[in-house]
Amino acid sequence: MCFKNLPIEFDAQGKPFLRAGVANPYGPTEATPRGAPAQLTAERIEELLKRNGYIKDLDFDPVTRVAGALAFHTVADFQGRKVLEARSMATLFRGYEVIMIGRDPRDAIFITSRACGVCGGVHSVTSAMAIEMAIGCVPPPLGVLIRNIALALEFLYDHPLHLHLLAGPDYSAAMVGPTNPSLLERARRSEAPHAEVHGFRTMGELMDDLNPLSGKLYLEALQMTRVAREAYVLICGKYPHPQTIVPGGMSSTINLTVMNEMFTRLAQFFDYSKKLAGIWDDLTEFFYEANPAYKQVGARRANLIDSGIFDHHEAYDATYAGAAAWGERRWATPGVIMDGQLVTTDLHALNIGVEEFVEHSYYEEWTGDGQRQHFPTDPVGNPLSPYHPWNKVTKPRPQGQSWKEKYTWDTAPRWDRQAMEAGAYARLWNTAVAQKLPANPFIESTGTSLKLRLPQGALPELELEWKVPAVWNAFERNRARAYCTGFTALVALNNWLAAMDRLKLGDTRTSTPFEIPKRGEQRGVGFWGAGRGYLTHHLTLDRGAVANYQILTPSTWNASPTDRWRQPGPYEEAVLNTPLLEETDDPAKFKGIDILRAIRSFDPCMPCTTHIHSDAGVITREVNTCACGVDDEGG
Amino acid sequence: MRVIVAGVGYRNLRDHSVGVVVADRLLEHTWDNDVVVEDLSYNPIAVVQRLEDEPPERRFTRAVVVAAVERGDRPPGAVSAYRWDGTLPDDDEVQRAVTEAVTGVIALDNTLVVTRHFGGLPDEVVVIEVEPAVQEFGEDFSEPVARVIDHVCELAITMATDTSAMARLPRCGLGGLPMATGHSLA
Repeated sequence: MCFKNLPIEFDAQGKPFLRAGVANPYGPTEATPRGAPAQLTAERIEELLKRNGYIKDLDFDPVTRVAGALAFHTVADFQGRKVLEARSMATLFRGYEVIMIGRDPRDAIFITSRACGVCGGVHSVTSAMAIEMAIGCVPPPLGVLIRNIALALEFLYDHPLHLHLLAGPDYSAAMVGPTNPSLLERARRSEAPHAEVHGFRTMGELMDDLNPLSGKLYLEALQMTRVAREAYVLICGKYPHPQTIVPGGMSSTINLTVMNEMFTRLAQFFDYSKKLAGIWDDLTEFFYEANPAYKQVGARRANLIDSGIFDHHEAYDATYAGAAAWGERRWATPGVIMDGQLVTTDLHALNIGVEEFVEHSYYEEWTGDGQRQHFPTDPVGNPLSPYHPWNKVTKPRPQGQSWKEKYTWDTAPRWDRQAMEAGAYARLWNTAVAQKLPANPFIESTGTSLKLRLPQGALPELELEWKVPAVWNAFERNRARAYCTGFTALVALNNWLAAMDRLKLGDTRTSTPFEIPKRGEQRGVGFWGAGRGYLTHHLTLDRGAVANYQILTPSTWNASPTDRWRQPGPYEEAVLNTPLLEETDDPAKFKGIDILRAIRSFDPCMPCTTHIHSDAGVITREVNTCACGVDDEGG
Repeated sequence: MRVIVAGVGYRNLRDHSVGVVVADRLLEHTWDNDVVVEDLSYNPIAVVQRLEDEPPERRFTRAVVVAAVERGDRPPGAVSAYRWDGTLPDDDEVQRAVTEAVTGVIALDNTLVVTRHFGGLPDEVVVIEVEPAVQEFGEDFSEPVARVIDHVCELAITMATDTSAMARLPRCGLGGLPMATGHSLA
């Protein structure tokens, strides 16, 4: 049974039902998250701050231009070298859900794409899938294949960007030198184990080339984003907001020329993936060996959720009833990992366990007196919470900031009332453990690992193996992201080969005609993923127009605030567990590198500047936080 | 000499669409072969890569860049034109600009900083800025901005084709000089 907190049980046929005799099954006291950590109370923190001079506020306050912003408040104990309080704040409301109300659903494909300047295509596809489900439109096999390739290419833009432009500089000589000089000295003396793959003789050389603006790895990542982008626009017309994604498939014209031009670019990622895996293996192991306390940086429970992605072209039927079956045939298996254990791969179970709470968010509750729960069940009769996205109503209520009351525009999504983490790594973990991959020559799911057989390029053919990690922390997030580049390239290769087979059969059809029904009520959900993990769009149509639209992005999960049970969100929990390993005892010189490594490892995607405020003043630094999450209440 | 006349901005964002609207209009102008008009309203890293794609003997020697920019120290509709001196902010700011570039921010300063840092821009860069009055969804300009659009187009044509006129512009840092100092050309 996958639910431990919600009173949901399963009958002999595996159909979920609400346990009998529970008066208010979704009430706050009937179902509480057992075993979850809890933030200290605001009163306790105030008391500690008053009584101890070595305990100080550290406010990471970003400025953002367009895409939204994340700020982070911590209270740190400089004597104990630990964080006592962590609060994640999405400081901008954009309200895509509100914008969508009353519109033609086809607008959603283009409007929700604007939620993110990196991964617009993922929103377009998720939106198209929600519409397909609502109106009963199934894409043809080639449409599914091309959609998979397009989104894999989008991720191949995204992964290098995270690894070497956003997170990578945290491990560069330019960053490690000032914060941990002894570590950089050690790096200069340490040979890099994977030198033959990535070309760096020592860890010091590798760190030099992670330097922002000038490092070879930084510049190479910029170049690789171009390669991915070029391949992407061959089938999507435009990046980052594609023009060819439609309900029922793709409007692109696919022929051998397009396929070949795409392949020449995709193939460049085979060698690049080998290199990335070697680099991040070496970095991770170097830090662990230098100081095992680095295993605690960004550490939290391995509670991961992923909606799965990349449909099998012979399985996807666009129905909710069929989602449990087609979901499990995806190239990235959907699922929930709880405390490191896979508890379900069933999209129905995943969907009915999702709730969103707003106790600490700038929204009004929608479940109060007199409010009717619109959908007591999902379309196949499984129970739904009043806090489920299909029942949620977005009611913004801006107000002053208070840790006791409300402090963010993000909501607190929970699965089985637990704070879950989304990421590309959840995609790898589910797929590795579930062993449900379609048969193929390149990717093998072993139950404890994923084996990736990358074809020969300038480098020889190489088998990489990503192993489910024993610890879950910032380093493992980044290492998994590096391996996910190879995984993504091989998913694209598998789909490319299948698409070529369709073309050889003379099948060039990429979309299915459809009409938007003008009568009645319909609903759908797009289960898909961004480069950085889980993505769903829940849609309700009424007489041909959008009656409700709810977006749940990876950063909605990851940046979520503390919930009504004082359970911190994932960023908060990861920062609370992070030791302060910087080599300074002076709070005025403190840069917060370990805290920033913890936050950035999640790949929050809105471009932010974070100011660390210490008593000595404001230190300007960068953190990248996810626009496609925190402010759509994201966005 | 090859010149690129570029617009930078967002479509359907009223006054902030000045760059793209001017680029659209100038595409209709009859130019000689040495002038190229493009909408460069996309990821500045991709703009660098596009500019670097020109073969060495065909690299642009002058860029005329048009955009709406809210500086706040001039009235709505004010037009400022200057030759950018190419001075870059410190590395932290450049890094922030790159981060914003690759995550989807389109803004004149970002585009100039990133393209200059990575060597995509020609040495001679003329910037034509318009102070916007409104930032909201829509196709039409506010009245003060609508009033100067024809003038901005003429100015861009002059700066692309008349070297002596261009040379009379002040050379200054990003943002140019405020109208009060006499450099506004509106």
